[in-house]
Amino acid sequence: MREETRREAVWQFLTYAFIILGAVVTLVPLYWIFVASTLKESEFLSSTDPTLVPGDSFLSNFAALRARDNVQFVGHVGEMTHYIDLGPIYIAYDFWNLWNMGAIESSIFVAGVYTILSLLLCSMAGFAFAKYEFRFKQPIFYAILATLILPIQLLVIPLFLLMSQIGLTNSYWAIILPWLANPLGIFLMRQNMRSIPDALLESARMDGATEFQLYYKIALPTMKSSLAALSIILFLFQWNLFLFPLVILDQGKYTIPVAINQLVGAQRVYYDQIMVAATLSIIPIFVLFLFLQKQFVSGILAGSVKE
Amino acid sequence: MATRDSLSGSDPSVRDRLRFARQSVGERLPTPGEGIVGYVFLLPAFLLFGIFLAFPIVYTFYLSFFRFEGVGDETLLWIDTGFFSYRLTSIADLSFVGLSNYTRMFSDTLFHQAMFNTTFILVVQVPLMVALALLFAVALDASFVKLRGVFRTVLALPVSANLVAYSTVFLLMMQDAGLINYVLTSVGLPAIPWLTSSFWSRMTIVGAVTWRWTGYNMIILLAGLQNVPKQLYEAAEIDGANRIEKFWYVTIPQLRPVLLFVFVTSTIGTFKLFSEPVIINGGGAPLDSTITIVQYIYQTAFIDFRLGYASALTYVLIAIVSVFSAIQLNIGGESDA
Repeated sequence: MREETRREAVWQFLTYAFIILGAVVTLVPLYWIFVASTLKESEFLSSTDPTLVPGDSFLSNFAALRARDNVQFVGHVGEMTHYIDLGPIYIAYDFWNLWNMGAIESSIFVAGVYTILSLLLCSMAGFAFAKYEFRFKQPIFYAILATLILPIQLLVIPLFLLMSQIGLTNSYWAIILPWLANPLGIFLMRQNMRSIPDALLESARMDGATEFQLYYKIALPTMKSSLAALSIILFLFQWNLFLFPLVILDQGKYTIPVAINQLVGAQRVYYDQIMVAATLSIIPIFVLFLFLQKQFVSGILAGSVKE
Repeated sequence: MATRDSLSGSDPSVRDRLRFARQSVGERLPTPGEGIVGYVFLLPAFLLFGIFLAFPIVYTFYLSFFRFEGVGDETLLWIDTGFFSYRLTSIADLSFVGLSNYTRMFSDTLFHQAMFNTTFILVVQVPLMVALALLFAVALDASFVKLRGVFRTVLALPVSANLVAYSTVFLLMMQDAGLINYVLTSVGLPAIPWLTSSFWSRMTIVGAVTWRWTGYNMIILLAGLQNVPKQLYEAAEIDGANRIEKFWYVTIPQLRPVLLFVFVTSTIGTFKLFSEPVIINGGGAPLDSTITIVQYIYQTAFIDFRLGYASALTYVLIAIVSVFSAIQLNIGGESDA
């Protein structure tokens, strides 16, 4: 019996050691991103004696990053090009130019707009597939289903030509439109919306609800948790897109991945500035993750259930 | 309302009762106009799907039999009404080359190198990551572990890291004078040329990808573990099985479908590897030893502008990925039955 309890203790110790080691290895790169962003480059890039505690150079690194002319990482107040001159008072205005977006704002804007529009499209299509009968429903659904197995972010060559043709190169629409009708999103919405009882829709119809009201007053509210999970999938998909934005966007419209690529590929690589950029792009999503952990997890699991 | 009634041809109460009656025997009476409503809801998604997904799928295949000569300029359609004019041009200027884009791959050494690199990373990284994810999942599932939620959160944190942003810290840590070599040399080990030797630069990619995705797979495996019936463990205990035997004879077989799913999605993920080698190895350095397939496609298409050949390469990649996806879908189907 004593032998057994001792073994149990050793086992528990080993399990804890393994988990804690994993947690440390996970946290070190994250800690290092943050620490390096607060130090001067010479203080952390040293094989003999790197500093491992945060310093106070974050703001000066940040200022240096903002001063770069090849990459606009964080936005700045736009130049006021229009004026109303009233003698003693003059008002500068240019509503489209109040804030020049940098890479961070671009990424948040693009991922946000993409998520909202795609949720709308996918849920509408899912609703149609789940709750309506129409001709060619099955063939259309299976055609969409079949594209689930394709790596859709690799179809960049025709997309590039298409965007050049319709004049959308260097436009945010070029990286929003192609993935709006997300096959996984349509599929997930269709699966979940099948659980809405027909009788519920039917009785609402009898109360005089229009078909569109059925969608946004009954279907959408009952799908809240699925929509939350799907929005995480969609947001992260767009947030991490690199290849196509790299191809299609020019300076001034860069998203975070393209901007960081520009910093890394520059003639002289400034690691302190890059780490400021990495901190600014990683920390906000970490905070989001901590608050919305349940939704992240169900998003991951929803994406993994494709049967 | 009038039209609805005239369509059904009887008074509403009779119609409603008829509808409920039919529904109660499991038959759905179509609402007037329902056939069109479905299309209306589907239309926006369907249009975008057609233009930006179905068309590229077909057109990539078409392009793979041509040499790209330049952006199209041939007029296909010209509408000119005086105040409004619209000119639709062909999408690209192409010349037919038959199968030569495909046959060229056999003698393209850089393509072979990219295939080799991707396969190397795949063979080392996927088993390593799945094993780690499984061990973390099983460890966190153990009943005696305190602070389980905290550990799970910490291990899953990398899931939220931007793919390009996180790559930069590996670029930094793996420098000759970086943090990892500092740790190695301070415990008396030799420094490792993480970014300058062809073997170690691939291992750097392996390390980075493992760091980013282990937590993701752990979450999927943890969910799988919840579905393993507890009675199986109890039965095994009665039969005198120890921990390791329970792991081998209960956990692994019960998790088989989830494990295979994780294996297949990770394999697909490795074939799509792009951000990490671009950022960490600056486009395949040293000496193309880390260039991946997607990276090679990118270079061929958008630096050399050989769009036809790049399309053929894309289709080879799509074929590989589709085979793995089909395996994965099959597994999902089997586990359901």
